[in-house]
Amino acid sequence: MFRFSREQSIVNVAGVKFGGQPGELPSVLCGTIFYHGHKIVEDEERGIFDKKAAERLISRQEALSEETGCPCVLHLYARSTLAFEKYLDFIEPVWNGPFIIDSADAATRGSAALLASELGYADRAIYNSISLATDEKEVQALRDSEIDSAIILAYNPAEPGVDGSLAVLETGGRVREKGLLPMAREMGLVNLLIDPAVVPLGSGAGSALRFSVAAKARLGLPIGSGIHNAVSSWPWLSQKEMAARKCCDAAAAAMQLMAAADFLLYGPIESADTIFPAAAMADILVAEAVRDLEIAPGEMHPLHRLV
Amino acid sequence: MAEEGKSCKRGYEDPWPPVRGDYLVGNPNAGVVAVTLASPLFPRGAAICGQCKTENLGVEKIVANVISNCNIRFLILCGVESKGHLPGNTILALHKNGIDEQGRIIGSRGAIPFIQNLPPEAIRRFQEQVELIDCIGLEDVVQIEEQISRYNRLAKPYPFEPFQVIKRKAASRQIVAGKGDLSFGAGVVMDTAAWLVIEEQDAMEEANAEAIAEG
Repeated sequence: MFRFSREQSIVNVAGVKFGGQPGELPSVLCGTIFYHGHKIVEDEERGIFDKKAAERLISRQEALSEETGCPCVLHLYARSTLAFEKYLDFIEPVWNGPFIIDSADAATRGSAALLASELGYADRAIYNSISLATDEKEVQALRDSEIDSAIILAYNPAEPGVDGSLAVLETGGRVREKGLLPMAREMGLVNLLIDPAVVPLGSGAGSALRFSVAAKARLGLPIGSGIHNAVSSWPWLSQKEMAARKCCDAAAAAMQLMAAADFLLYGPIESADTIFPAAAMADILVAEAVRDLEIAPGEMHPLHRLV
Repeated sequence: MAEEGKSCKRGYEDPWPPVRGDYLVGNPNAGVVAVTLASPLFPRGAAICGQCKTENLGVEKIVANVISNCNIRFLILCGVESKGHLPGNTILALHKNGIDEQGRIIGSRGAIPFIQNLPPEAIRRFQEQVELIDCIGLEDVVQIEEQISRYNRLAKPYPFEPFQVIKRKAASRQIVAGKGDLSFGAGVVMDTAAWLVIEEQDAMEEANAEAIAEG
């Protein structure tokens, strides 16, 4: 393992810290709930779901977080504003940590940001994401909201690879007039988290790993990815048994953390039982590897809790 | 690549389809493909059928598999759209308008509609070889199968060779070590831009040489 010569910033969202030098802070693990096709959701448009099951999943993630020392974030996926409103209403008594606002639909994301602000949750919300797809309407919604934390998606299909991903963040590359980072800062976003954008295996998934190291070296910002997408979109693996799929999920998570990631969007919250131990193990290995590089892991680190 | 003026005997080369994905292969001699967008439907009678949830890589895979089989003349878009991504709208836009110089699919309302792994000739071939049948929203498998049967009867093989999309290799570049911006300890550093692990002394010499060259 290694340390970066550039200072690594630490982002604090509602008490959860992301970033720093490898081995300094435990990895932040973000499990998704109410995702498309989630069995506990009966009606994705109206946000009707099994509340007891949802509560169990959130509690399980929280318990694993307390046990391992890896902080957790609730990744809320909503298909509509109405559904997002229901989800926010539900989490109020069961979860008081940070949450991610996510939807495939830009209008839903924008109105969710405004709703979270109106209800007083802006300081706990992380907007997912600012990307090439962000248009003026979405920009305006974010400007009008009080949200100041966001994930910036470094996806650049016009220039695939590490250089293209850095270009879209810094200058906009060939596809935008302005880089996503300066654009995000102009929108009032302060806590910026970088996501390399993981494409399927065979389409360049591996470049997310190299990008993670390169981007931290260059930008000094926290990095994390949804590398589970590379696993779940692999047709060959989907024919295998559950044990093989879980094994690859855990391996991919650990590989991303070994490649300097600070957080993981680890996918379905049901995977918490697989991901938390794998991430805690990776955190311990990294912390031990940098012991003589003047990096001291924090008090809550799995190194101090699990070994 | 397509070899115009010749007709292929069978219409495709083994193994077909050339690009892997989460789809169901039927009879490669059939003239229809069914793209069920976000709906997990598996109608019978098509050469290949499967979902498409993304407006970039998913669309590319469909194009590559379609143009590598001359028997395919109709592409039925059915099932419900994938919200935000809009791959159905994107396939229609690609067929109608093609791509611009950056690879952006002209007229698509999808989130990030780009083609990055297909040459422009592949897009032209897609536009010429197949006709799109817009049944977006249709989820009734019986009705979809009726459409497949109908267009299978109309399909006649495209009179040229199959078009094989060759995966482009990433361009290699000369690696020149600059400053070490990441330290492994024990005097070993990495230049993350060049992705090169070097001894600290070498990195300093490189940096000095660069400074001298810049005057």
